[in-house]
Amino acid sequence: MSVYINSIQQISAQQPLSEDWFNEPIMHTEAYNRAIDVDYKQYLAPNVARRLGKILKRALVVSKKAMEESGVAQPEAIITGTGLGCIENTEIFLEKLVREGEELLNPTYFMQSTHNTISSLIAIDAKCHSYNNTYAHSGISFECALQDAFIQLETGKIKNALVGAHDEMTPVYFGILKKSGYLGKANQHFAGETAVAMMLSTKKSERALCSIDGVEKMYTGGKELEGVRGVKKLLSDVDYVMIGTNGVDEHDAVYFDNCAQLFSGIPLLQYKNIFGEGYTMPALGVYAAATCLHKGEIPNHLFLGEKNTKKFRKILCYNQFEGKNHTFVLLSR
Amino acid sequence: MEDLIVKLKEEIIEVLNLEDVTPADIDENAALFGDGLGLDSIDALELIVLMEKNYGIKLKDPAEGKDIFKSVKVLADYIAAHRTK
Repeated sequence: MSVYINSIQQISAQQPLSEDWFNEPIMHTEAYNRAIDVDYKQYLAPNVARRLGKILKRALVVSKKAMEESGVAQPEAIITGTGLGCIENTEIFLEKLVREGEELLNPTYFMQSTHNTISSLIAIDAKCHSYNNTYAHSGISFECALQDAFIQLETGKIKNALVGAHDEMTPVYFGILKKSGYLGKANQHFAGETAVAMMLSTKKSERALCSIDGVEKMYTGGKELEGVRGVKKLLSDVDYVMIGTNGVDEHDAVYFDNCAQLFSGIPLLQYKNIFGEGYTMPALGVYAAATCLHKGEIPNHLFLGEKNTKKFRKILCYNQFEGKNHTFVLLSR
Repeated sequence: MEDLIVKLKEEIIEVLNLEDVTPADIDENAALFGDGLGLDSIDALELIVLMEKNYGIKLKDPAEGKDIFKSVKVLADYIAAHRTK
């Protein structure tokens, strides 16, 4: 059964709930940039919004917009990928825990400090009692959520699903990741935040962006990808490969080496130069690829290397995390 | 008592994050839950923490809250009578 992306929305370091990034991207120069927030009062009632941290407000707004645009009020599945969950509330909760000597803790921060708060909040807001799941698998969290939805849709278990990818990056956590060498390196694209929601369906809507032809993920333990079962079936007639290069030589070398083996001669695209780096950034790679397929063109700033003007129908999104986890999402028009 | 009522209103606004609400907007005799400010059970938990943290009052029986949290005025009266700090 075919699977379509019928709607998709984002709040990120680019213009929120907008495709302005396509022609006029914001080129950030700082090592760390938070997402550009919208005026949440326009989308959420005050009594709903008052307890919510930023990640929850963003997740709720992009989800509501994606559902509204697809015409689905109650999805048959709500599946979220998040690397860090509600890290800002977790920090506040832990700070209070230390300051108050493990007594007199505010319940709100505790309740909203878990990873699965996001999916459950969306379900409560939509009054949706169907399948609800959260994947917290660091750099491949989004693809785990997407694959769960894809398999259920492809096998006819469900007819539609809301898939989200949400992560916030606090100053404290950025500092920790910088010290550990994951972010903030010289020449590395900036650390960013993700809020992406997409409505998937087995029924193509008039506004559908593209179809998802396959989702594969694998663990190689750092060995070469060539010959790995599951990848090759996604490779037929691929026009472009969207990869997550982030400006760090040793990180990007994994992409270039594997692309030379698997996708030799296929032009490469990038997205982290405008959306930034973070655990669930691959969702913005899929978002960018889906937008390009829908518009039938690719903006200059997404090309890695020379601009190509050939007609295209298929984009393969390839993400690798620490050279060991590899994911592939094939999109087609 | 008037000072305590104003202080309590400010604390409630802060701890419950009541955006766009000022102390003047809160009728001290109006219901806190239901029709008045429209607070819910999670807010009740936050108010219990507030009472213990700021006034040293520990509610032994959570069911007591139903009477104590009727309005800001009732809450202020209870705090004035039982506060330890």
